[in-house]
Amino acid sequence: MKFLSNNKALVALAALYIIYVLIDILHWKQGLPMNPQNLRNILSQTSYTGIIAVGMTLVIIGGGIDLSVGSLMGLLGVLSILALNKPSGEPLQTIAAIVVAIGAGALIGFANGVIITWGKIAPFVATLAGLVGFRSLALALTDARSLTATSKEVFPGLAQGGIPIPGAFDAAGRPLLAQWPIFICIAVAAVGSWILNRSVYGRRLIAVGANETAAIYSGIRANQIRVISYTFLGLCTGIVAVLQGSRLTGADPASLGQNVELDAIAAVVIGGTSLSGGKGQVWATVVGVLILGLIGNMLTISNINNNWQGCVKGVIILLAVLIQRGQKSTS
Amino acid sequence: MKSRNLLKFGLIAAAALMVFGCGSGDASSSASSTTPTTAPAAEGKKLKIGVSIPSADHGWTGGVKYWAEQEMKNHPEIEWVYQTADNPAKQNESLDAMLAQKIDGLVILAHASEPLTPKAKELHDAGVFIVNVDRGFTEPIADIFLAGDNKAFGRISAEFIAKQLNGKGNVLILEGVACNVNTDRVEGAKEIWAKNPGIKVLDSQQADWNMQKAFEKMQTMLVKHKEVNAIWAADDDMALGAEKALKEAGRDKNIFILGGAGMKDIVKRVMDGDPMFPGDVTYPPSMIAQGIKLAVETMKGKTKEELKARKPTNETVKIELIEKANAKDFYFPDSIY
Repeated sequence: MKFLSNNKALVALAALYIIYVLIDILHWKQGLPMNPQNLRNILSQTSYTGIIAVGMTLVIIGGGIDLSVGSLMGLLGVLSILALNKPSGEPLQTIAAIVVAIGAGALIGFANGVIITWGKIAPFVATLAGLVGFRSLALALTDARSLTATSKEVFPGLAQGGIPIPGAFDAAGRPLLAQWPIFICIAVAAVGSWILNRSVYGRRLIAVGANETAAIYSGIRANQIRVISYTFLGLCTGIVAVLQGSRLTGADPASLGQNVELDAIAAVVIGGTSLSGGKGQVWATVVGVLILGLIGNMLTISNINNNWQGCVKGVIILLAVLIQRGQKSTS
Repeated sequence: MKSRNLLKFGLIAAAALMVFGCGSGDASSSASSTTPTTAPAAEGKKLKIGVSIPSADHGWTGGVKYWAEQEMKNHPEIEWVYQTADNPAKQNESLDAMLAQKIDGLVILAHASEPLTPKAKELHDAGVFIVNVDRGFTEPIADIFLAGDNKAFGRISAEFIAKQLNGKGNVLILEGVACNVNTDRVEGAKEIWAKNPGIKVLDSQQADWNMQKAFEKMQTMLVKHKEVNAIWAADDDMALGAEKALKEAGRDKNIFILGGAGMKDIVKRVMDGDPMFPGDVTYPPSMIAQGIKLAVETMKGKTKEELKARKPTNETVKIELIEKANAKDFYFPDSIY
């Protein structure tokens, strides 16, 4: 019981999955909740948002928020493909694409943090400026054209390659791959979780998020701590920008990363992290991302009218949050 | 403290001046008065024409922006007032600004019909000559209406699929953002599905004109539906996303996709005889250039009274089927879209 009350997001995910199984048995009769390809799709689709949501968890625990990640992802995707398409030959091109996206991501995340802490601009406002500004930069750099990756082998392999799932094959008889982004997401979550729970930095981040003044009086450099959390989120955004570029073999400055910030923040909240900071878990956020992914999958498979799907999604998100609360009060 | 605030204010003001100074400089070089000396001095005053279009938020609107800017450059004798807008409310505001700048004419591709109609009427009543491109207003306000026909888009592409499948087969559908354009295209296609009882529409999902979303929705739909013969996508961006999902799932044999709007990458593949893309449907973003040209040709050398007396005219942009044989007529390698 203690395990369950400590992992309320997991309870919500399990409840949702059971509902999925029941609907499938009673109504769709297709075995979709157990279909390896469908499950693999859910994991690979959610891994991108997952990586960003891990970074977002740290930022929110530190008492901040970042609305700019979606637009930043668009900008970093563009920069990464521009670097990739310089004719330097493989694997140099792919390395350039990775370094540029992750480096620029960390740098811009750092700048966000500096503006918020030393510039004393509320995170909501500072990153709102980023939300508008980064997208516009992406469009300006490309003249609103979508870019196509010229690397045909190495670069697409980053997100499209993976490890074969034993016993699972696709329609063409090829082994079904668990793609690299799934493992990268798990790795990033493990790192994020270690930072938060095991490192000195993590303890300080929680202290700053819970009560900044008290943290400062106890000798913690709050500004520095918070800047690092934004830098980490920028870095995560860079990773996702490269992976999306690889997955779609290119970058569309207008649509790449659109609304990712909302999904990431929703996942953090569903995972039970407090929006006012000082409390939360990285693994719970990962479960939150899976909940969102499962909802999306169920809605696409259901025959619910497209225009109503958003409504249903909203209600399920509210229910997922309520399940968490309910668990808290009964245990 | 006070002097520090003053300093801050000064810095911000200087920065703003730089940014907006550059901005207007750019605008004039790309649009309005590059050649004041060579302009024909037939009249004392230059014609001032406003161009209002949606911002480039996906491939097709990017194309509209490209063609509008190209065509404005072709007419340096006109003073252009050029605005893009994110949404209908912003477009309303930019029309207000244009009215304040006393434009003589307006070329507009409206975000949506209903919310822009009252404002367009206001401009028209104030004596502005209006050329409306693509989406019509709910009242006959435009002096020239160059209509796009999204229903025909849906009909023509669905007809092609039905013919290609010999009237029998399973189809998946990818829709764009819920709006008039999407509804018209989907409804147009529905008319054809209704006439072909052998064609079964298995599923229809919304992918917001977005390649990534189309990819993910198609991944999911493919798991659910084992037998699919063709995919109807409401535009080419989504068609490309669908193709990626088919390839990833190993389902890219004995299936084809029909998108639409004439994206050059797709047209190229139709031209090359790619079995995945046997055809495409035009919905040329260059229609905005056609509208701008019409405005210039009609307004030049005429007085306000003459223009007012002119009878409103309607034209329809022809929606055409692109196949291997005629694809080269629709392939513009230098175009943005």
